Amino acid sequence: MTKPAALSLEKGDLLPTLLMVPAVSLVLGVMVVPLAFGAFLSFFDFSFGSFDPRTAFVGLKHYLRFFRDETALKALGNTLMFSAGAIAGDFTIGTLAAVLIHSLSRRLARLVRPIVTVPLLVSPIVVGLIWRYIYDPQGILYWMMDRVGIPFEFFPGVTSASTALLSTIIAHWWQVVPFLIIVLTAGLVSIPTELYEAARVDGAGVVSIFFRITLPLLRDVYLVILLISGVDTIKVFDIIFALTGGGPNNSTVSLSIYAYTQGFENGDLSYGIAVAMVAMIATFGLFGIPFILQNRNRRDR
Amino acid sequence: MTRTPRMKARSKWPPRLAKAFFLLVFGLWTAAPVYIVVSNAFRRTLDIRRMPPALVFKPIFTHFQRLFELDDFLRYFVNSLVISVSVTFVTIALGTLAAYGLKLFKSRIGERLSNLLLIGKMVPAITVLLPMFILMNRLRLTGTYLGPILAHSAMGLPFVTWIMASFVRDIPGEILDSATVEGCSRMKAFFRIIFPMLAPAIASAVILIMQFSWNELLFSLQLTNLDTYPLTVGIARYVGAISVDWGKCSAAATISIAPIILVGFLMQKYLVTGMTAGAIKG
Repeated sequence: MTKPAALSLEKGDLLPTLLMVPAVSLVLGVMVVPLAFGAFLSFFDFSFGSFDPRTAFVGLKHYLRFFRDETALKALGNTLMFSAGAIAGDFTIGTLAAVLIHSLSRRLARLVRPIVTVPLLVSPIVVGLIWRYIYDPQGILYWMMDRVGIPFEFFPGVTSASTALLSTIIAHWWQVVPFLIIVLTAGLVSIPTELYEAARVDGAGVVSIFFRITLPLLRDVYLVILLISGVDTIKVFDIIFALTGGGPNNSTVSLSIYAYTQGFENGDLSYGIAVAMVAMIATFGLFGIPFILQNRNRRDR
Repeated sequence: MTRTPRMKARSKWPPRLAKAFFLLVFGLWTAAPVYIVVSNAFRRTLDIRRMPPALVFKPIFTHFQRLFELDDFLRYFVNSLVISVSVTFVTIALGTLAAYGLKLFKSRIGERLSNLLLIGKMVPAITVLLPMFILMNRLRLTGTYLGPILAHSAMGLPFVTWIMASFVRDIPGEILDSATVEGCSRMKAFFRIIFPMLAPAIASAVILIMQFSWNELLFSLQLTNLDTYPLTVGIARYVGAISVDWGKCSAAATISIAPIILVGFLMQKYLVTGMTAGAIKG
């Protein structure tokens, strides 16, 4: 007696569906439900204890407030600047280091790799802590700058609104550049050496080899890294939380930091959620949708 | 030995010197911050402030003593361990099953679902946390281990599934077919054949998800209390103040980074393949 295919675990899509159920329910229950609840709450004035959806509906109030709230707009601007600066540095330093490490002898490269992976394993809160010590006005960075004759005013670090955001970006580079190095190195290994040799025979220089061969061949790898690390830069929280807490003068407040402060410290949960929703929309718009389109193209090829 | 010709072509002195200089600077830039925090954990508070820092000094353990005797830091350590190990088990189990499921789908629905996984990675933690805090508060889950375990698992699961799926996809369909021909059920084939083949992939996913949970701050900050604080929250509570007790903070930071760096070092090969699989294979 054969069972009909629809009810058989051995044929058809019943078994795969069952296999997906635990994972999908966890993500639905713990991620999607809160997100939907948050989207709902962002149109209400929520307060603990006395929340009545019939009277608390405020429509777009929180979103309109966002666009009239100077600090919120500043947080949006800071987040975009952080993202742009972080990505620019990650890519430049990461590419330079990866190409150099790749050109080393195998024994040296094997020595360098364990050092490179260390920053990736350090908790971002500790990264913030370390750099807070480094940026201390009486600390090691300014002692070194003093030694070589650079005045404090040249780079006032986290004490001035003009350089605080850059200081957080530098701390981010320290942690994330190694990720680029690891992924790019894997990409570089996949390029056949014959290509380089042929180019060198034709008299091409190091720079033109990079732009003519390496970069085009690693295009997909770069795109994926851009989208993965880009998403993370829009979400930035921990490093800023430990390093500057958003100051001085709100110059390092990111969307995540501002949503956190509004929601948990000022007790304005609905507005905090609205700010966080803007952060999510920014992530999806800037990196999410391109990511999905890119992935679809790649799989079709 | 394919590299020999390249090495020869580059053996001119000035570029080699520039290269050596860049690598030295880069090595210092990477290693110095970690050295600074770890060495400060063993210095007297007065010496932490002294510039230039002494490279050779007599290590002291008073900061660690204060953490464990006055602050009950061992509890934070155990909490971090309980949370990250549970998260690892949950996500690896569910993620591996789901990845196998994605492979088995005959229709294109598997591919569509794979795309959805990517969306899960893009959701900012704060956007989930604020409403989740309200819900967990109502369910009386704040302050328990279950809060951060559920939160970390749900946030990490799409990523773990994505990595596992990229490895499962590489397993040739013939292996599955031949198992079925020999009378294996599809689940039996999974446990007997697929699961052992995935051991390296699982090692990669384990180190990545474990470091995510071990290092995660934001969810733990709001979902735990004095009894369930993990290390990251313990550290954040020291740093939040205007003046920082550097000795204590450095010791706390050292306790938090030492185990995960050790695990990462031992599993380095898998860490690297995990990261590149996530990024390159898609």
